[in-house]
Amino acid sequence: MKPRTLVEVEEPNLLEDQFDYSLPPKICFEGPIFEEIDGEVVKFDPQEALARDLVITDTTFRDGQQARPPYTVDQQVKLYDMMAKLGGPNGIIRQTEFFLYTKNDRKTLDECRALGHRYPEITSWIRADKGDFRLVVEAGVKETGMLMPSSDYHIFMNLKKDRKKAFEDYLEVAEAGWEAGIRPRCHLEDVTRADIEGFVLPFVQELMRRSEQVAPELHAKIRLCDTMGFGLSYPGAALPRSIPKLVHRMTNDAGVPPEYLEWHGHNDFHKVHVNGATAWLVGCNAVNTTLFGFGERTGNPPLEGAILEYIGLKGDLCGIDTHMIQEMANYMRTIGVEIPPNYPFVGRDFNTTRAGIHAGGLRADERIYNIFDTTALFDRPPRVAITDKTGVDGVALWVNEFLGLTGDDRLSKMKVHKIARWVLDQYEVEGRMSAITDEELEEQVRTHLPNPYGASKAGRMAS
Amino acid sequence: MDRSEIKNRVCKVIIQVLEIDAEQIKEEDMFTADLGAESIQSVELMAGFEEEFDIEMDEDEAHAVQSVGGAIDFISGYVN
Repeated sequence: MKPRTLVEVEEPNLLEDQFDYSLPPKICFEGPIFEEIDGEVVKFDPQEALARDLVITDTTFRDGQQARPPYTVDQQVKLYDMMAKLGGPNGIIRQTEFFLYTKNDRKTLDECRALGHRYPEITSWIRADKGDFRLVVEAGVKETGMLMPSSDYHIFMNLKKDRKKAFEDYLEVAEAGWEAGIRPRCHLEDVTRADIEGFVLPFVQELMRRSEQVAPELHAKIRLCDTMGFGLSYPGAALPRSIPKLVHRMTNDAGVPPEYLEWHGHNDFHKVHVNGATAWLVGCNAVNTTLFGFGERTGNPPLEGAILEYIGLKGDLCGIDTHMIQEMANYMRTIGVEIPPNYPFVGRDFNTTRAGIHAGGLRADERIYNIFDTTALFDRPPRVAITDKTGVDGVALWVNEFLGLTGDDRLSKMKVHKIARWVLDQYEVEGRMSAITDEELEEQVRTHLPNPYGASKAGRMAS
Repeated sequence: MDRSEIKNRVCKVIIQVLEIDAEQIKEEDMFTADLGAESIQSVELMAGFEEEFDIEMDEDEAHAVQSVGGAIDFISGYVN
């Protein structure tokens, strides 16, 4: 063990090369990632990954709708429009997908297309059924996802086929797509529970071989669907669950270029976001997501999580408008979608502290207990929720934020002590069990700090 | 204002905030360790001194005043 000596410094080391407060923290790598595959050491280089065209694709209107009451046409159009603004002119949110089976499905697609956004590109989703291509052609869509279940659970027990029949049927549908001039995006359902060597690899190899015979814009894409959330990012994990090994099989053994490879995950084991980011790093250019993770059962990789991860990897906003994340959350609430208060980035309490010791830290320097400049990136300054645990520090933080006072204009703890005493008495004298509401605190400010209240925006509005 | 007057007025604030008798207060007493001031009472003491002496303390100064004697010295330096 090498002995270490304390290093005294004159200024605090805030590690700002990684923690530039104006952005989500930078994800830095100090070297490649190694994985032993088939007895050989395979290198995955994060710098190489970052040089690829990493993108986010969206399935809010497809998988995202399978887990909830359907959105109306207008709601989908509104969300699509906001998604376009969120992803920015560089098309970080590169594609989305729509059903085609009902009149409303078609109306939604047509009205989204009529907005004229280049991104997200509009694609569709159909069953692996040759007849459904008619719908794709009628919709004027150039790429469609097609469900191609890849595990024996599905092939034998759900589809009542054998592997050869599934293999041939899926290829037949892909061929139908090419005949119709449509790029097939082959969704390998349940791939993290499939026989990779016995079915998936032979099938994908054949798809790639046939793709060489068609125009480049029709080259088949592969979506690796971790349908039950079994995927693992851990080094050394075994196939079929290992994401690095699975993706390496696709790129190295099946010849799928990263730009035609996509990851689609589910959150049954709480791994959905990191699994998606891992797929990016090891060779999938696209991660498929839904807004706020709403999707089948436990949901999909959250779109906003992927957006923040992307910024962290690139160290730059890349044209992304992060404010749209909050706008979309607010819109979802207006249409009756509940977002849990502790949900990252958009929950009501995602940057709210209740503990007095945290409030004290926030008052000393916001960076101590706020993940990045949420005011600048989200219009969401850090907040304190007032309870019996919050203390005078918390009350001072709340009051100054409410009055809009910053820097040297902020009121000290001594100036808000009567309000802090009122809060404490609510619990210790009155026996209260609930948090103090903003309305109650405003009334206390009006009573005990009449002049600052009158000068504040809230006070001017109230009068 | 002489030190004796300052001491009397400091003790008046302490008695009011901590609800203790004058006999319990010694100059060397620490507000929290010896006189039992709770977290909010420490702030109420500083606010009381501000009001009693018509002074403004910033939070760092207030944080440094931990004892009866410390309060007397600080206020003495401030007003004189």
